[in-house]
Amino acid sequence: MPVLETQNLTHIFPDGTAAIQDISLRINAGEFIVIAGANGSGKTVFIRHLNGLLVPTSGRVLIDGEPIGKNITAARQKIGLIFQDSDSQIVGQTVAEDVAFGPENLNLPREEVERIVPEALAAVGLSDLAAQSPHTLSGGQKRKLAVAGILAMRPEIIIFDEPFTGLDYPGVVQVLRQIVQLHQAGHTIVVITHELEKVLAHADRLAIFCRGRLAENGAPENIVIRAENYGIRLPLRHGGTVGELTWLR
Amino acid sequence: MAPVTFFHCIPRDTLLHRMDARLKLLCLVLLSVAVSFAVAPAHYLAALCAVMAALFTAELPLPALLKDMKIFGVIIAIVLVVDAFSIPGPPIPNFPVPGVSLPGVVTGLRFAGRLTIIIMACAVMTGTTSLLTFKNVVEWYLRPVPFIPEARVAMMINLTFVFIPLIFDQYVEMMSAQKARCADLRKNPIRRISFIVLPLLSRTLRRTDEIVYAMEARCYSETRTRPRFKTHPADWLILAAAAAALVFILYYPCA
Repeated sequence: MPVLETQNLTHIFPDGTAAIQDISLRINAGEFIVIAGANGSGKTVFIRHLNGLLVPTSGRVLIDGEPIGKNITAARQKIGLIFQDSDSQIVGQTVAEDVAFGPENLNLPREEVERIVPEALAAVGLSDLAAQSPHTLSGGQKRKLAVAGILAMRPEIIIFDEPFTGLDYPGVVQVLRQIVQLHQAGHTIVVITHELEKVLAHADRLAIFCRGRLAENGAPENIVIRAENYGIRLPLRHGGTVGELTWLR
Repeated sequence: MAPVTFFHCIPRDTLLHRMDARLKLLCLVLLSVAVSFAVAPAHYLAALCAVMAALFTAELPLPALLKDMKIFGVIIAIVLVVDAFSIPGPPIPNFPVPGVSLPGVVTGLRFAGRLTIIIMACAVMTGTTSLLTFKNVVEWYLRPVPFIPEARVAMMINLTFVFIPLIFDQYVEMMSAQKARCADLRKNPIRRISFIVLPLLSRTLRRTDEIVYAMEARCYSETRTRPRFKTHPADWLILAAAAAALVFILYYPCA
């Protein structure tokens, strides 16, 4: 049984624009899936349904076979969503306070919050910056902070929305390494991006969205050669393989 | 933003930094009430001694604080001048400016003294208390007040302090972008302001939407883990000292 599934998911905005249409996608436990698509292809709207932030016009989202609306708090705890703009995700005045935001929302006992926060910070390598203001961090560190904030809620599935946007080379490597480590630790990973060259080598599956529809879905090496048909840069050089794309050395 | 020492927490390991912030806020209220009743020089001296003792105990940088006091100096000077000219009474003998009354100057000086002491007491409070703790204290005091959602109010305070620097950064970025396109050559100030205000408002509202989604994604709830406060015996002694200052000012003869 898939850990996360969408069935005929459709979202139409009040002005009549169809953001996503009839999307059925199954995500299995422990899988690493990349969802790619050009700007406006509906990727972000799609993942916001996976966390119950948006309510579909039709269709449904199932978590472990149960509709997401059955227990929305449990769903949000299970599925961590990391936004594209880290600044908008930061609500704490210190790094540690921001990480504590999620566990405090879950009304965990204070002792547990105080135990979880350093663990989450250590997992992303930000322990030394616990007392610092989040807005003094670099782009890569802010993404790591966003990851720590989600890890503190003990999610099984982590969704990254355009995790590499605006990062320099070391920042991309930092974030990519973090994503791969989370996958190796057993988390199910969903990465939304149009920069396939940065992450595809580590993915088990590639899905491509085009004009709000699921256009392709399958093994990366089978799908990637058609990427340019959907407005996504083909990351492979002539004769290259997906496995060679990794930015991690 | 310009580095301002006032109203910024300066981390130190002192008695006042460790003090239970609920009692610290209560001390500030008591001292402010006491100062507002101050009339005789002895009253002012007692309050000033209390604030200076707090400043030194907290190891706050006095020269930097006094430098930042300039901002309030302007307000104090305006009040002093207004009082000096508007309160009727006999003029000061041989004073070169006509129309300045002696009771006006005395009242203005008293007000200036009160305001200075209160501002310095506030500086001690904010200089020794992090915004997070301050937010928790506000939430704690609001909890028994009916019809006020204390968690929501506290979160609003928190978000305000988190987002003011971001909005300011955005403003600076927009100003630079507009200057790069020679917007400063426009003569009409209203047009110039509208070029900044409207996009800034639009971006701020979009960011507000994003933050709402981000908070929802992290299970935002008003039934949250409550903050924990620790009260030490010394905290009660400090509170007693503030109460003693109030009693002294209320009952010590004015003349």
